[in-house]
Amino acid sequence: MHAPASAIAGEEVTISTNGSGKATFYLLGPGVSRKSDVSLGSEVQLKAQDLQNAGEYFAFLCSDTCRSSSFYVTAAKPASLTFLVHPSRVPVGQGDAVSGVALPFDQFRNLVLTPETVNFHLLEGTASVFSRSSQTRDGIAWFRTASQKSAGTLQVDASLGDLSARRAVQQVASDPCNLRIKGERTKAGILVQTEPVRDCAGNPVPDGTIVSFTATDGNGRSTVDAPIKQGVARAQLEAPGATVISVASGVAMGNELRIGAQP
Amino acid sequence: MSRMATIFALLLASSLSSYGADSPVRVQLDSTKAIPRSVESLTEQVILRDYRFAWTSIAQALEFNTLDPLEGAFTGESKQALSQSVTSQQRTGLSQRYVDQNHKVQAVFYAPEGDVIELHDTAEYQLQILDSGKLIHEEHVVVHYIVLMTPAADRWMVRHLQAVPQF
Repeated sequence: MHAPASAIAGEEVTISTNGSGKATFYLLGPGVSRKSDVSLGSEVQLKAQDLQNAGEYFAFLCSDTCRSSSFYVTAAKPASLTFLVHPSRVPVGQGDAVSGVALPFDQFRNLVLTPETVNFHLLEGTASVFSRSSQTRDGIAWFRTASQKSAGTLQVDASLGDLSARRAVQQVASDPCNLRIKGERTKAGILVQTEPVRDCAGNPVPDGTIVSFTATDGNGRSTVDAPIKQGVARAQLEAPGATVISVASGVAMGNELRIGAQP
Repeated sequence: MSRMATIFALLLASSLSSYGADSPVRVQLDSTKAIPRSVESLTEQVILRDYRFAWTSIAQALEFNTLDPLEGAFTGESKQALSQSVTSQQRTGLSQRYVDQNHKVQAVFYAPEGDVIELHDTAEYQLQILDSGKLIHEEHVVVHYIVLMTPAADRWMVRHLQAVPQF
């Protein structure tokens, strides 16, 4: 029996046999098990559908005794690109924060192990912000890069020949920076509010981010947490005496505000 | 009657235990060369446990031609290919035994976000091929596998298992 040393997934293979008389032919491989009667000296045709999965195949020819042969089926040409990108949301200006892994597969979902060049391309709007060609190694190409300075959608593309895959990463403002507050005494107490809250790159910090206002007067300290709404955070503090108000959000501290006692 | 059934079950279990599916699966995992992310110790232990379990499951599924062992350890392409192997063997009456499995596994790629790991497994085992329970072929084989594993809720699953001539 003579089998080829290797074959391509999804292509027919012919195995030649020697001798005369009847025998049983067996084929065992990933996803396939075949048994048939054959005449020795004839050729055994393996159909394309029997050889769709890449891997090692064993062929046996049994009459009085069994003879064996094995061969490998390798992946066909790339037909799809699996592209994993992380994270889906990322603060701006973070080093090595965005990464992508691309894996080419053939039409039968075999991992293509021959080196292939994958082009990674990152766009902010129409502006290209990152581009790299990377060769697959053992079926994998990858990249890692920093998030950009501006909040918004980062388009992440991977392409291999005619194949392409696109993902999106939402870049959001980082931690608040330079918190500024202003306040005034009202009948109900002290109304205090921030200026529009932005990160150090000037991106508006998302609504819902918590800002903590702390009032210190002769009676002690009290803290009110307020979410940012439409870019600013507001709080009503009850403090009839002279009061010092401070503000913080995450690790960022803001200015202090001194309000005189209620007249 | 139920006593007879119990005795039969014990006898069956005893006879099955002498076959390849009950043969020990030895796995050594070296993750020191994985890039770009290093594999944490706890992750390494879990991958080792789950990869060994996967091969125990393959041995059971292909020896007894049952799909049940494939639940839990496999997903994606590997589960599909192994399921096809089992159903195909059910039709032909063939089965395979993987005896004395020894896997030397090296982690070569661990994704930056830890969502996929690629392993190179040099597996050695005694492969027995049976036709309707009759041994027709036996040989000691060394097979190189490229393996992709991905994390699930509480385990790592084999997503891709592809034999190659060499790494």
